[in-house]
Amino acid sequence: MEFAEHIKTANVEDVVLRQPLQPPSRGTLCITGHHLLFSDREESDSRQVLLLLRNIDAIEKRMSGSSGTITMKCKDLRVLQLDIPGMEQCLNIAHSIETLSCLDCVSAMYPFFYRPVDLSLPEQWGLSSPEMHYSQMKELYEKWRLSTVNRDYSVCPSYPPAVIVPKSIDDDTLKKAAKFRQGGRFPVLCYYHKKNGMVIMRSSQPLLGANRKRCKEDELLLQAVIEGSDKGYIIDTRSMQQAQQARMTGGGFESKSFYDRWKRFHRQMERGKALQESLIKLVEACGDESNNMDRWLSKLENSKWLSHVQNALSTAGLLVECVERDGHSVLVHGSEGTDCSLLISTLAQLIMDPCCRTMEGFLGLLEREWIQARHPFQQRCAHSAYSHARLQQESPVFLLLLDCVWQLWRQFPLALGFSEALLLRLATEVYASDYGTFLCNSDQERCALEVKERTHCLFRALLRPTERDYYSNPLYERTELAIWPSVHPQSLQLWKGYFLRWTQQVRHLEEAQEEIRNMVIEWGKLARS
Amino acid sequence: MASPVSVYNILESHTPPTRKESLKMELLSDVSLLPGEERITDKDIIYICPFSGAVKGKVLITNFRLYFKSSDADVTVTLDVPLGAISRVEKMGGASSRGENSYGLDITCKDMRNLRFALKQEGHSRRDIFEVLFRYAFPLSHGLPLFAYLSQEKYAETGWTIYKPVEEFRRQGLPNNKWRISFINKSYDLCDTYPTVLAVPYKSKEEDLRKVAAFRSRGRIPVLSWIHRENQAVIARCSQPLVGMSGKRNKDDERYLELIREANDTTKLTIYDARPNVNAVANKATGGGYEGDEYQNAELIFLDIQNIHVMRESQKKLKDIVYPNVEESHWLSSLESTHWLEHVKLVLSGAIQVADKVSSGNSVVVHCSDGWDRTAQLTSLAMLMLDSHYRTLRGFQVLIEKEWISFGHKFASRIGHGDKNHADQDRSPIFVQFIDCVWQMTKQFPTAFEFNEHLLLTILDHLYSCRFGTFLYNCESVRDQHEVRSKTVSLWSLVNSKVDMYLNPFYTPESGRVLYPVASMRHLELWVAYYIRWNPRIRQQSPVEQRYKELLALRDEYLKKLEQLQLSDSSTSSHLANSPTPNTTSSSTSTPSQQYTHLQTPL
Repeated sequence: MEFAEHIKTANVEDVVLRQPLQPPSRGTLCITGHHLLFSDREESDSRQVLLLLRNIDAIEKRMSGSSGTITMKCKDLRVLQLDIPGMEQCLNIAHSIETLSCLDCVSAMYPFFYRPVDLSLPEQWGLSSPEMHYSQMKELYEKWRLSTVNRDYSVCPSYPPAVIVPKSIDDDTLKKAAKFRQGGRFPVLCYYHKKNGMVIMRSSQPLLGANRKRCKEDELLLQAVIEGSDKGYIIDTRSMQQAQQARMTGGGFESKSFYDRWKRFHRQMERGKALQESLIKLVEACGDESNNMDRWLSKLENSKWLSHVQNALSTAGLLVECVERDGHSVLVHGSEGTDCSLLISTLAQLIMDPCCRTMEGFLGLLEREWIQARHPFQQRCAHSAYSHARLQQESPVFLLLLDCVWQLWRQFPLALGFSEALLLRLATEVYASDYGTFLCNSDQERCALEVKERTHCLFRALLRPTERDYYSNPLYERTELAIWPSVHPQSLQLWKGYFLRWTQQVRHLEEAQEEIRNMVIEWGKLARS
Repeated sequence: MASPVSVYNILESHTPPTRKESLKMELLSDVSLLPGEERITDKDIIYICPFSGAVKGKVLITNFRLYFKSSDADVTVTLDVPLGAISRVEKMGGASSRGENSYGLDITCKDMRNLRFALKQEGHSRRDIFEVLFRYAFPLSHGLPLFAYLSQEKYAETGWTIYKPVEEFRRQGLPNNKWRISFINKSYDLCDTYPTVLAVPYKSKEEDLRKVAAFRSRGRIPVLSWIHRENQAVIARCSQPLVGMSGKRNKDDERYLELIREANDTTKLTIYDARPNVNAVANKATGGGYEGDEYQNAELIFLDIQNIHVMRESQKKLKDIVYPNVEESHWLSSLESTHWLEHVKLVLSGAIQVADKVSSGNSVVVHCSDGWDRTAQLTSLAMLMLDSHYRTLRGFQVLIEKEWISFGHKFASRIGHGDKNHADQDRSPIFVQFIDCVWQMTKQFPTAFEFNEHLLLTILDHLYSCRFGTFLYNCESVRDQHEVRSKTVSLWSLVNSKVDMYLNPFYTPESGRVLYPVASMRHLELWVAYYIRWNPRIRQQSPVEQRYKELLALRDEYLKKLEQLQLSDSSTSSHLANSPTPNTTSSSTSTPSQQYTHLQTPL
């Protein structure tokens, strides 16, 4: 891939950049294969803006006379504007941005070129692996084993090579069970609750089809999960009706007659296109400066974003109730088991397990549930709310997760070891990043492209001492208790830090948060000295 | 952090094993009564709790409170309601009403909740309790004293001395060669709803003031509320001019406003009329109005804030969607239809305009109709934005004492202390709305206020409780007649005797900084911790108070150590401010100590 062929004009002088919260500045614009670089000419207080082209979601160009204006709407919701002299230059720049911002070729993306001097490529990519995770969880040894049935990705292309399954189930049974689950995503363990030995399992939908096929091995596998207990729960993230309809296309749900010790709940969660459209409406309402007071709350309500937040938190709450309060194991799935299932199992773990609430714990959780267990980031985060491109598989499921975590953080300001800033950073990185963490759609793809050898890992970078300090929550106090979120609409708030991030007010609040953080750290230091 | 009672689930609810310790013994023995508080009666009763259903227990009525405690071992419900918070007591059902718990009492409160009790139907069992409640909840309607006059509470600090008008003017730099302190109202004969001490233009004579008083509604002449130390621009407050249908003019009033303008050479005096334009016009019919073109060198701006009746209705609508059940399915649009946040927005943005004008050097005059509701909101909020002193714990008390209490916000009429007339059209949540605006500001500037949310909640609780004299009566002259200061305790006595409960650990004093909150709907929030605080499912989740107290202690220790370091080696102080910890790389770590070092410099 030659970037040069997309760059007809690499440098333009005398460009005016307008960006939120800052006065316009005049300077030189430069386009490279991955970046847009702007440096102003002020001698005293020189500023540079370096923007990943990947961050640009949509551009609009407007010509007037011999100059033009390019408006760039970014995936981090920032809106920038360039006034460029010279019609041809302007068109060239616009063309370069348009092409380079949405190149499909993963191996040409910036993480493969990002080589900061202070960071050498890691020997170990990521924080952990299924093997390490299993070996650290001694409680699992008695009843659970690590299976490498998927070592060549042949049983389930979207699973990692090693997964945790009941000890009594052999690999042949797993292979057969995998054939009965969409995409081969057979039930695997994702969380073990130390307090009572109950677990959360995750899978995709069973492939019953219209003629209600059954699969002995799948039944055996699930039976083994609740060995020694009277029952288990299945949380299906689709409505009963949706689950029934899925049978027409070969899917379905676990029927009572074959899985008689499993009790099923249906909780309809919005996904896919509907979720993306909700985000688009919300961002539109947030950016509407025109009639500031007119019907803002109605618009917020109409976007339905907060009801998706509510739904996710309350379904996660149900899951925690099953495991923690009711003392039973739970299987979670929807159809593919790569979106809502991950969302609620992640939230449930945060709610009940204090180990997931430290910064390492949280990043480890994200790595297990979203990277290893495979959320198709490449497809879901190809575009954000501004894009004019036709929607394909975009869906802001991960952003919804971060919003839900923020709600937890707001309701329990002491219980999480990390701060809002970390959530904001992740929300930005997931759409455009220097790091390889959110590249690709699965572990298999990552291996094929040597992501783990050729890119840096965001999670490891975030745990370097300076970054860790910056993203820690100074008020953090570990609690062993579950943090049950209130899910009434009155208890949920718009995540202003993200959605109104580029307003003066939110910037003030960010500064105040930072001030508080530094203050508390300072007191602690002097008190100890 | 108990789980809210099955809110997510469809699981059969498993009642936790009930603790069998008997709570029945001396159910009401744990109530600690206030000095001066007396038991009137107690009774077995059923509390119809909107959240956990009918709860059996015992109710105690004193001359100050209604206290209920459940007797069932598995549900613990306690209610502790000052009688002052009650606005209405009604009988529910009759002796022949059918259905469980249909006979009893319905109590409407001023603080966003209702209480419902059921009693046995036999033997007129509610008659005595109804009468006792009615009598002691509305003492003024029964010739009884308010509880504040019966209280024998003693505090280490006396709150009545927190605000001394002359001292406060001196703090602002007054008197000076443009403004003087006048005692013309010392026996309340210029204006019976104003305080005795007023600041007026130096050049105005006493007879001028009397002439102006004749042209201003209820004699509430323009007087100085606040002066900007550097640019000498002032905030003056007053009531509407008595223009009337015929469009009367008053040369003295015009000249008087000119004196205000001249005091700091403001080119154009800005008159903020808090009302919507149409209302101001309509007021002409009843003799009022607004300043016309005859006021040269002045501009008039309407701030579009609605009157007390609109605010009352808005709050009523708000209550309907939050109590007893919170609106679930269309919460945001329902909230929008109450217009409560929109009103908050208008008040705040009005105050921002006032503050902005003044900080750019222009003097302003603020009024509405009578100048005791919207005017008080605007001047006090603008002062809070402009003057960091009012953002301290004690400064905020001064602000309330000054702009609200001394300038005659009609607390007695707006709240209806001890008065049974619940439908009184004079009642309105104007002060609550002001505190809401303050809360919005504290949310937007988490380090700028020395006090915390608990102070605001405490103030609102005692706005109704009648335990303290602070918010009683409509104005100073009436307060003097009733000897409030000598016969009752001030709320600030309570607060200032236990300050650490009300302090914000993250407060960073920054004198001279003007705070402009954002008054856009996008940035305003409903104050859930106040308006929906009775709903156990929507409470703040984690108990942060303890942690904040620890932080406060940590901060104090920090400041102490810092002081010691500075004392032991004065030359290190500058070093300390620049790099408190040499090994930190982050540039911003030095800010907190920089901000603290100026604490040591005498102000």
